[in-house]
Amino acid sequence: MFEVWAEKYRPKTLNEIINQKHVVERLKAFAKDKNIPHCLFSGRAGVGKTASALALAHDLFGDKWKQNILELNASDERGIDIIRNKVKDFARTKSIDSEFKIIILDEADALTRDAQQALRRTMENFTQTARFILICNYSSKIIEPIQSRCSVFRFKSLSDDHVKKYIERIAKGENLAITKDGIDAIIEISEGDLRKVSNILQASSIANKKINADVVYEVASQAKPKDVSEMLNFAINGNFNNARKKLHELLLIQGLSGEDIIKEIHKQIFSLNIPEQEKVRLIDKTGEYDFRITEGGSALIQLEALLAQFLDVKK
Amino acid sequence: MLVEKYKPKKVNEIIGQKKAVDIFLKWIRNWKPGKKALLFHGKTGTGKTSLVQAYALENNLDFIEMNASDFRTSEQIQQNLGHSIKQQSLFKKGKIFLIDEIDGLAGREDIGGVKEIIKIIKESYYPIILTANDPWDPKLRSLRTYCQLVQFDKINVWAIYKKLDEISRKENLQIDQDVIRQIAKTSEGDLRSAINDLEILAAGKTKINSENLESVGFREKETNIFEMLKIVFKTNKIEIAVDAIQNVSKDPEEILLWIEQNILNEYEKPEEIIKAFEALSRADLFLGRTKKRQNWKYMKYTIDLMTGGVALSKKQIYSKFSRYQYPDIIKNLGKSKAIRNKQKEELLELSKRLHCSTKKIKEFYLPYFKLQDNSNNFHK
Repeated sequence: MFEVWAEKYRPKTLNEIINQKHVVERLKAFAKDKNIPHCLFSGRAGVGKTASALALAHDLFGDKWKQNILELNASDERGIDIIRNKVKDFARTKSIDSEFKIIILDEADALTRDAQQALRRTMENFTQTARFILICNYSSKIIEPIQSRCSVFRFKSLSDDHVKKYIERIAKGENLAITKDGIDAIIEISEGDLRKVSNILQASSIANKKINADVVYEVASQAKPKDVSEMLNFAINGNFNNARKKLHELLLIQGLSGEDIIKEIHKQIFSLNIPEQEKVRLIDKTGEYDFRITEGGSALIQLEALLAQFLDVKK
Repeated sequence: MLVEKYKPKKVNEIIGQKKAVDIFLKWIRNWKPGKKALLFHGKTGTGKTSLVQAYALENNLDFIEMNASDFRTSEQIQQNLGHSIKQQSLFKKGKIFLIDEIDGLAGREDIGGVKEIIKIIKESYYPIILTANDPWDPKLRSLRTYCQLVQFDKINVWAIYKKLDEISRKENLQIDQDVIRQIAKTSEGDLRSAINDLEILAAGKTKINSENLESVGFREKETNIFEMLKIVFKTNKIEIAVDAIQNVSKDPEEILLWIEQNILNEYEKPEEIIKAFEALSRADLFLGRTKKRQNWKYMKYTIDLMTGGVALSKKQIYSKFSRYQYPDIIKNLGKSKAIRNKQKEELLELSKRLHCSTKKIKEFYLPYFKLQDNSNNFHK
């Protein structure tokens, strides 16, 4: 597989982190002392939280940093028990070259309150051998007992200038020709998310020698998920059979969750080519079936019932 | 219905049950008031009811059939049967009683039920036949001493095949021998379901080959469910629709998927589709509540809404023949599971490499990867 630029241009050391000076300075001090407390990193997507955690590990442990970290993702580990077991296995042995190992728990705000309570105990039990870096978008979703055990670092959103710097760095590294309006377009679309920046750049560079605003917008629009709007249009045009098939594909083949699909449907209603009054009605319906899913209904049946409502749209 | 049309009218038309028929005939010829009743047991569709019915018809007897599960109390048994077993038949030479599903009787609240039935057997002026799914049910112990047990075996495949062949010739069905053989085989000795299968396949199509067989998802035996779908979609009486589910040996969750699959095969008007899916949505919601709270009292609402609710979503009954299908969801579950597992594996691999969750990979990376590499595995 091709090399992913988001990975290639990920900062290797704390010095390479863009912006986030207030955070980086303190983390550097930790690296120098060879000791860190439990940490909580919060901030928007793509501003460098995971990158900082990995860079910190790199600066702390040198070449052997990979052996001394465990990366976990709260949204992928099924349940706190699995997390606990993995932590146990990892933290049971002491690191040879360091006082402790680092456990990075990404998307910690995906854990329920109960799971967080259990996590708190786990953190206490392994303090001798491991430090936790919890990463989340919103620190308010982390229970207070955990917050109080951690040094909290808030990552700032990136300014346009920072994004531009990052674009230029990749452009230089990859020998890209990119116009000024191309850069502006990327800045606008990426909304300060560097992961998005590198992905748009990489996709744009495939077919185009020169990256300008047109190319960037084209790539961005193609990368937008179209399945949901296709599905809705089938239903609006009275082809319920195809709408239903599309839904089955999204749920069963692509493995999307009902929650994700309904979120996307809600978003798409605004841009449908139907009377405003109908949009209001459909949003109301969307809310109702969303609620029914929460209440214990199955995503499949509830979403089908919602799709059926689109058959009724007055044009 | 073919099943009705080809119901045996004489005892010698009963197929595949020679032993049971002989016992029955010997018993009834010697029957006098005070003698034992017969207790028929065996699979459905093997001819238990048909035998008694055919005999009644042949001998000009009143055939009185009731279902034991209708009797909630011993008083009700007395009311329903007490007089009848002693009265003379008005128009016929005599009477014969069939009480179905005797093991549906009893339970705690009608503790007197079995006793009452025994009393009926002792006092009756007319022969009584009982049927049971499980004659060895402990609660029937005392009843068994007043009954002679008659076992109805599964009807053998060859006999079923011959019967189906005969029907299809009389009905002028253009049907491959292979298909008939397949139906006979999958019926597992249940002649009624086999004839129903034949009818479902035959209706609407003039030429039937094994492809049709596949199109209705025949591999697994789904006779009853097709019958049920037909009833639900072709009635506008809530009770009939709700009752239709009684004989289906699938759990409501699966039946819901069968109904889901076939709404579009029956209903054509948007308002009907909307209404039907709304009913299904409510049914599904109660199913969720049932499971969530482990409280089965909500299940009845699920059943009522998914059958009655869907049935009453139509404006008029469609007179067309609808071909009902096996649910896509169930068919694809295994297949899509394999695909999903493979995707999951690849996602986890990427997740490790790119230091973020699979959810983020799907959201932030995959759309761009697809643009770069069309042969990428994630391109569905």
